[in-house]
Amino acid sequence: MSAPAMEPETRIEIRNLYKIFGPDPAHALRAVRDEGLGKPELLEEYGHVLGLEDINVDVKAGEITVIMGLSGSGKSTLIRHVNRLIDPTAGEIIYEGRDILGASAEELRRIRREEMSMVFQKFALLPHKTVAENASMALDVRGISRDEYLGEAEKWLDRVGLQGYGGSYPHQLSGGMQQRVGIARALTSNAGIMLMDEAYSALDPLIRTDMQDLLLELQQELQKTILFITHDLDEALKLADHLVILKDGRIVQQDEPQTILLEPSDPYIVDFVSDINRARVLRVRTVMDRTTATDGLNIAGEIDQEENLETIIAMAKGDTRRTYLVKDGDKKVGVLRMETLIKSLVPTEASEDGMRAR
Amino acid sequence: MATYESIFHALGLQSWCESGSEQSSGPTSIADLLTQNAGTDAPAPSIWKLPFPSMDELHEACGAFPQSRALTKSIENGFLDIKDGLSLVLDPITQPLSWFLEGALWLFETTPWWIMIPVLLAIVLLVSRSRRLVVFVAVCLLTLAFIDFYSFAAQTLAVIFVCALLCVILGVPIGIAMARSDRLQRMFIPILDMLQTLPAFVYLIPLIFLFSVTEPKLYGIAIILYAIVPVIRLTDLGIRLVDKDVIEAADAFGMTDQQKLIKVQIPLALPNIMAGVNQTIMMSLSMVVIASLVSAPGLGVLVLRGIRNLELGVGLVSGLGIVVLAVILDRTTKLALARINAGQDR
Repeated sequence: MSAPAMEPETRIEIRNLYKIFGPDPAHALRAVRDEGLGKPELLEEYGHVLGLEDINVDVKAGEITVIMGLSGSGKSTLIRHVNRLIDPTAGEIIYEGRDILGASAEELRRIRREEMSMVFQKFALLPHKTVAENASMALDVRGISRDEYLGEAEKWLDRVGLQGYGGSYPHQLSGGMQQRVGIARALTSNAGIMLMDEAYSALDPLIRTDMQDLLLELQQELQKTILFITHDLDEALKLADHLVILKDGRIVQQDEPQTILLEPSDPYIVDFVSDINRARVLRVRTVMDRTTATDGLNIAGEIDQEENLETIIAMAKGDTRRTYLVKDGDKKVGVLRMETLIKSLVPTEASEDGMRAR
Repeated sequence: MATYESIFHALGLQSWCESGSEQSSGPTSIADLLTQNAGTDAPAPSIWKLPFPSMDELHEACGAFPQSRALTKSIENGFLDIKDGLSLVLDPITQPLSWFLEGALWLFETTPWWIMIPVLLAIVLLVSRSRRLVVFVAVCLLTLAFIDFYSFAAQTLAVIFVCALLCVILGVPIGIAMARSDRLQRMFIPILDMLQTLPAFVYLIPLIFLFSVTEPKLYGIAIILYAIVPVIRLTDLGIRLVDKDVIEAADAFGMTDQQKLIKVQIPLALPNIMAGVNQTIMMSLSMVVIASLVSAPGLGVLVLRGIRNLELGVGLVSGLGIVVLAVILDRTTKLALARINAGQDR
């Protein structure tokens, strides 16, 4: 999760993506584009459901892009477009310079086998195969020999904390452990891109936190390009390098999580963020004063710009008079006054015309 | 005057009716004779006694109108007309069935009992992995042998073995094809419904015309047609019921349709397919008894003898023998099914 020095390259570009469900999507699409109909109007006048409307997202290499939205917002539909489990009504998904929608069945299979792996909300493991066989599904599909793939699978099962479970069957494991198998399966495929569809939504909160930590830990090491779907804002803020908020099939706002928290662009998001633990999400770099002039300041210590505010408050033991010097590696980048920090924690009120007001 | 004569008058069809009446040389029915004997006093027409305008009733009013007897007769003639062509095609296609049945019967009859019974017990052990069942089956088979029913039971088993195996070989692919295509499913379901509801005896009627009664394939086809339905239905159902999420995962990891079928769909549908196989075996057993009417060998022959000659004891004992076979086959396949289910418990 370290802030990259330079802008990472875009791995997947989603351009003007539309998905309309119904008997004649092309006709309904014209209505949406030309007349600007929204989801309820389209349903009423044309009897079609607007799944996704004009989606544009850049998924950057080595980052976790989180798509967040409530149920029915189209997030699971969106992620299924990336590996074309669902075909769009209109739009482009550019991967490695080509529109993935133009890929032949053969090419698409190769991409799914070798370059994109997926983790599912309901785990979707094969009940009649052992954990190790499940984990090596992608390799088996590619036609790699059993001896070879089982070794590879064991390696990744160890990595996700399932040492010694290779010979068990999925139904013998708890939900959290089953999802670890799901993650091991995605990692064993050694694909650069991981699509995670509400991967943790079916898990208990405590196990979910564990799994989030596991993902961040793995990510630090592996630098995969991850597209993560969730309906949980806390989870989204914790994991996201880039956060996309979806509502009724439309992107409401997309940005770095810090920015979304500090500058919500829509009453919908204001409502969302109003009861978030801001100290845990906000980082020093977003609230510090960008100055290197430290003269006359009583510097209490040095902190890294990527620390979150909760850590700093703990470090200062709640003393609001302290000032810290902020560093990016060895470079001084700014100064953080505890007063400023406290001010940044003032919650935004739930908006007047937002969903809570209703 | 017949009730509906006036209608033909009104329609101006009188001359047509009269032209037909001379030709109607069908046999006189009992009812006709009775009315003739009763004298000519026709009862006063009453709305309560108005007969339904059926073919026979209309024929009475108008001689040119065909009797219902003509309908069944024409179906019969139609069938007899195409019969030669049909058996020209069906005979070679179904010939292997005769060979299989003859082969299996030969195998089961010539293998000495002291090899056959241990082999059967070994198969039961292999499939069910239950010693208790093996002991039970051993007791049953030895008892049947002791009361001199062994060779009949062996014949029945041979027929069931061939027919159930062919049902699975043909039925599973049909079920898979149905699961994959909604159109095919819509086409097949009425056929399966018909096969399932048609009384077992009715299968035999056209088959007797098509094939020689001395050939084993006659009863082989009857048994297969009757018993194949559950395995087709349950294969279709089983594959359609496979968890959509797992199928999606298989797609997401780039499985081809064939890989999906072999690695995901069939294994996950196996409990249902096995339930279908169990039903198929049970239904072949019930049909093998009825098929003894058309020379199917085995315990059914004894049941038939019991009915024909009123040999109560033979009929009852062979009936019980069939029950014993049914229990053996059912328990064995059920335990195999339970083992598969246990492996897939969630």
